[in-house]
Amino acid sequence: MQPPAEFVHWMFATGFLLLGLFLLAQAIVGDEVWRRRAWRAYLWPGLAFLLGILMWPVMVFFTNSTVHMLAHGSWAQVMMLAGGAELGLVRGKLHSRYWRLTMPLAFLVSGAAFLIHEQNTWYFARSAFLHHLIGWTMVVCAIFPLAAVFRPRSTLFRTGFALTFVVLGVMLYCDRDVAPIFGHLSSQAGTPHR
Amino acid sequence: MRRLQVTTCCLALGALAIPGAAWAHATLKQTIPAFGKRIERSPRFVELRFDQSVKALPNAITVYTAKGKIVSGPSRGGTDKRIVIAPVKHLARGAYTVRWRAVSADSHVVSGVFTFGVRQRAPPATEAFGSSGPTTAEHVVRWLYFLALALCVGGLGFRLLIVRGPLPPRAERRFYWVVGAGAVGAIEVGTLAFILRAEDALQLPFGPFFYGDLSPLVATRFGTAFVAMTLGFALVSALIFLAWLTDRTVLLWPAFLLALGFASGLSLSGHSAFDAGSSWLSELADWAHLASASLWVGGLISLAFVIWPAAPDLRRRSFLRFSKLATVLIAVLLSAGIYLSVLRVPRVSDLWTAGYGQVLLVKLALVSLALLWGAAHHFLVRPALERGAPLFAGLPRSLIGESAVGMAILLVAAVLVESKPPPRPTPTPVASHASAP
Repeated sequence: MQPPAEFVHWMFATGFLLLGLFLLAQAIVGDEVWRRRAWRAYLWPGLAFLLGILMWPVMVFFTNSTVHMLAHGSWAQVMMLAGGAELGLVRGKLHSRYWRLTMPLAFLVSGAAFLIHEQNTWYFARSAFLHHLIGWTMVVCAIFPLAAVFRPRSTLFRTGFALTFVVLGVMLYCDRDVAPIFGHLSSQAGTPHR
Repeated sequence: MRRLQVTTCCLALGALAIPGAAWAHATLKQTIPAFGKRIERSPRFVELRFDQSVKALPNAITVYTAKGKIVSGPSRGGTDKRIVIAPVKHLARGAYTVRWRAVSADSHVVSGVFTFGVRQRAPPATEAFGSSGPTTAEHVVRWLYFLALALCVGGLGFRLLIVRGPLPPRAERRFYWVVGAGAVGAIEVGTLAFILRAEDALQLPFGPFFYGDLSPLVATRFGTAFVAMTLGFALVSALIFLAWLTDRTVLLWPAFLLALGFASGLSLSGHSAFDAGSSWLSELADWAHLASASLWVGGLISLAFVIWPAAPDLRRRSFLRFSKLATVLIAVLLSAGIYLSVLRVPRVSDLWTAGYGQVLLVKLALVSLALLWGAAHHFLVRPALERGAPLFAGLPRSLIGESAVGMAILLVAAVLVESKPPPRPTPTPVASHASAP
């Protein structure tokens, strides 16, 4: 019944890639052009919120360890929180720009969850390497949404914020060694089981 | 400088291509006997199949009888490195618990527990041998869960059935904080409850517990309820958020109905679904009991903390409407409660001799207090307000007091839900007096 874990990773990778591309487009063309169609303002926060909702089934159905369950739960919550806060700001229901601090918070929590739930060292395996890389990428790149709260028009911070999601998407595509681009490479994983 | 950049890029790409495990650690894919299965013959061995190679320790698999006797031999790995096997003695009819641990290729220990039954139904993994049963922490968590349900279901019900029309902005904000806290609380506290139950079943220290396999727990009724209610309340949270975002109260209706529906997860996984004498009627009564209690306590909280401080113009109307609804809720609450008490407490003497009965007595005492308080509001305050008398200065404090009693009832209910009802008396066989012709 359950899809293989890598399919779920690829699905979320696609979501993050789209999210990054929306943000990148907005950073390139600027807010005025981007918001000529009112619905575009809701595009990326809506997608972030939706990805948060979709993470709940992952949390409850992939329970092969407690730490995995808790990590997926924390991602679901921070994505809903950050996406929801941005939706509230766009809609005019929230007014303080400090609500945007939920995004760097989401980055920090997500990065910490990646680092904590990975038990192995960097060079143990590709998946371990990527988990560390994703974790540290999110922790370090939290600086972009954090700086964007105080310098909302800075192209550097907005582009950095957008590219973080693009990079995150690409890393999630590569996260499993059954990915067709790498094949089954692990000797430790035994014979290919899929 | 350029050379350094190229080297760094090559190293990064090389690291991406080094051999990688499909999972960070081994995951149990299949067992013989299967999780929670009833089998008709004693198995000769217990087999675990993982998704990757594992190292089998001599005590990798331990099989216990219901009384804790070990009936398994030393474990060994199969020819396939993903398999671990332990021989077992001939197993008599009964329930058995399998506790397992294996070392992944990544040198981390993964562990788990599951049960099976020989010629009888297997107990759920939450009742595996070694589990100590509900603790004080679980009682508190269950109470917080009831409170979260009351805030969410009761708050939504109050908004849709009592207030109906628009609220002043300040009251609207308070309302969304209350029901939002309830919906999010139901998810958070539900997860905590599941983890506490899993910790008790797995019987692992803090560190290894983080790598414990929770899959057998999800396969129990409690686990199924956890899955359904987490997903349900995630959806409820999203609907509440969208209602707030778009100012569309109509979205609160599906949120309310979903929250009411998913609250049944507790009824479908508790005493009313499991114990002797349980039927669809007991499950329905349990759900009606829980739903009416949530609406009543949540409604009182909304009245005391949303309407009274933030919507003075709506106080009188809301109080009168809620008073009418509360009468219906109390009737349902009492009818369902009496039916369930009769079902679970077979002898009157169980009320003072059995632990379950004693907790039920405390609950009945608190319910009586709440009924007296509610009756004072219904028969003294309500007629006066209907005649147009001014609002009593002490009424908000009185509402807070009634809410506090309601919350205390939920605490006792949480202890009651986790307690074991007294056993039903077995019918005495009628002695045969047939005489020889």
